[in-house]
Amino acid sequence: MQFSGVTGEWNNSFKTNVMSVIEIQQLTKTYRETLVPVHAVNGIDLKFEKGEFTAIVGPSGCGKTTLLNLMGGIDRPTSGQILVEKVDITQLTASQLVDFRLYNIGFIFQSFNLIPVLTVEENVGFVMELQHRQREEITARIQYLLTAMGIAEKTKLRPKYLSGGQQQRVAVARALAAKPKFILADEPTANLDSKSTNTLLNLMASLNEKEQVTFIFSTHDQRVMDKARRIITLEDGKVISDTSVKHSHAEAQN
Amino acid sequence: MLIRIAWRNVWRNKTRSLVIIIAVVVGLWGGVFSDAFMQGMTEQQIYSTIHTETGHIQLNQPGFLQNFDLQKRITNADSLVAILKTNPAVAGAAAIVRVTAMATTASSSAGIMVNGIQPSDQQVVSNLSQLLVQGDYFKSNRANEAVIGQQLADKLHVKLKSRIVLTLQTVSGDLVYGAFKVAGIYRTHDSDFDQQMFFVRNQDLQALIDFPPAAASVITVLLHQSDDTEPMAASLQEQFPDLQVQSWVQLAPMLQAMSGTMLQFSLIFVGVILIALAFGIINTMLMAVLDRTREIGMLLSIGMRPAKVFGMIMLETIFLSLTGAIIGVLVSVASISWFGQHGIDLSIVAEGFNALGYSSKVYPSLGADFYLILTCMVIGIAVVAGLFPARRAIRLKPAEAVRGE
Ligand SMILES: Nc1ncnc2c1ncn2[C@@H]1O[C@H](COP(=O)(O)OP(=O)(O)OP(=O)(O)O)[C@@H](O)[C@H]1O
Ligand SMILES: [Mg+2]
Repeated sequence: MQFSGVTGEWNNSFKTNVMSVIEIQQLTKTYRETLVPVHAVNGIDLKFEKGEFTAIVGPSGCGKTTLLNLMGGIDRPTSGQILVEKVDITQLTASQLVDFRLYNIGFIFQSFNLIPVLTVEENVGFVMELQHRQREEITARIQYLLTAMGIAEKTKLRPKYLSGGQQQRVAVARALAAKPKFILADEPTANLDSKSTNTLLNLMASLNEKEQVTFIFSTHDQRVMDKARRIITLEDGKVISDTSVKHSHAEAQN
Repeated sequence: MLIRIAWRNVWRNKTRSLVIIIAVVVGLWGGVFSDAFMQGMTEQQIYSTIHTETGHIQLNQPGFLQNFDLQKRITNADSLVAILKTNPAVAGAAAIVRVTAMATTASSSAGIMVNGIQPSDQQVVSNLSQLLVQGDYFKSNRANEAVIGQQLADKLHVKLKSRIVLTLQTVSGDLVYGAFKVAGIYRTHDSDFDQQMFFVRNQDLQALIDFPPAAASVITVLLHQSDDTEPMAASLQEQFPDLQVQSWVQLAPMLQAMSGTMLQFSLIFVGVILIALAFGIINTMLMAVLDRTREIGMLLSIGMRPAKVFGMIMLETIFLSLTGAIIGVLVSVASISWFGQHGIDLSIVAEGFNALGYSSKVYPSLGADFYLILTCMVIGIAVVAGLFPARRAIRLKPAEAVRGE
């Protein structure tokens, strides 16, 4: 465990012999389109273990989205490595990256998560169809996930007939449907009111608890940070703190 | 799934899709209907040329048509006509004595072609007797009556019962004059024909120029079925090797050429319209892709292959185009078959059409081969039009697209 220049403590519970799901080494991303180069990610080293529930926070423009995009393999770093279960995804070809994303990562964006012309259940089934899963398995999993997310009665509706919070819950179900190694959520609650935010976070937390789903999400929202068990703070593309919060979800839900 | 998404995407922005679909419908209908109209005019022209002027087949002495030499005649024409009439495929046969002449009246003169006919036979092979605008078709038994075209009557300033003096050569080459009285004035859809073709009774002309009674210059044959023309012409040629046998195709080569190139012309015409429509389709689909930048970024992010995204946009373009094309073709087929039965009356503007040899009532029609090639063209154009927006979609970088830039 090396975290040079990082002030936060390192929670020892992660130190056990669990293999890191993600290991980021000396990662940088520099945008040179502008006159002055922007170091959006400026030398980050991080490790994420299976079952984490982690918030990435920091002021606007600190590089949260850029970091998540790099980890998710939808953007290429300027330098550094991203090892996902020992595979350096920065070395993958564009075509390999597509499959990497399909089988390993669940994405949740701030908005535009769902295909508007498909129903809720078709949206959740879509990634599984891309994965060429069996029809019965897909049907069963749609049923299971939508029930778990508390929107089983909305399966036949198109997304536009759902509230913002319900849409994000479908997005979580869709992200989980692919059985990914981890889920990356970029400000998933930014468009939600506090009640929906609470519902969504509690659902995510309970999935994390019960099924060991790894969630890594960025946020501005203090209430969202409060639910996290690890908070990584960025500033100007660097990690300035990495804190583990010892509380159970049960306690956070109150 | 891809098909389902693409089809539903077509209907996402209903107004935008409907606008381009209507453009395709109207454009195609306009093009296809004009083509059918022109095709109908050509068929009409062929029909009236055959049924008024040429018949399906004509027989004459080789060389006669070059300078209408009276020596080049069919000596046993009457018996030949009798033989032809017994053929079950033949609707009618008629012998004509044909000679060039100068027509003179008190105020004017014109070069004409005198046709000596047997009215009862001629009426079977030509519908000219039904095209009279004044007078009648050799109804009285008076000698030296003539039936002439409206154009010639105007040119010579004659009316019914006017006298026209013809100057012509006898068989032995002497000049003779003959006075004929206008008994009927006809009007066809071919103004050249109306200006030149001067009809008189066979026996009057034969007597005037010392032409042998049983002989003729030309024998016109009308068949029951147009399709029999070529085999019948061939068999007649075999039967009468000394005569020249010609079908209407040889007698009116321009018509044949026109109907032969009609399909290509029609396809080029709708092709140009389709290319113009393709730009509208490309524009609509580029807008659709632009509107959905974030969504396409999301699809690429969650692991949809660019090839699939490309296919999805291609399918959308094809569905959009085909929806318009199918409706356009249905509207075309419906309107063409309705007007094909009822005809389009162009009598208001008919003067101009008459000069070109067209009838004033047009029955549009198009063959199945046209629609077959049209379908292939529409699909081809849709595929080409889809390439641009589809390429635009897969060029999106997911990281940038999901940011919504
Ligand atoms: N395509 C780009 N070209 C140039 N600069 C970019 C590009 N994308 C991001 N940046 C810059 O990189 C920096 C980090 O951006 P990023 O979106 O990762 O920040 P963020 O922490 O997600 O911000 P926010 O909280 O506002 O979402 C910013 O200064 C931004 O302006
Ligand atoms: Mg961001």
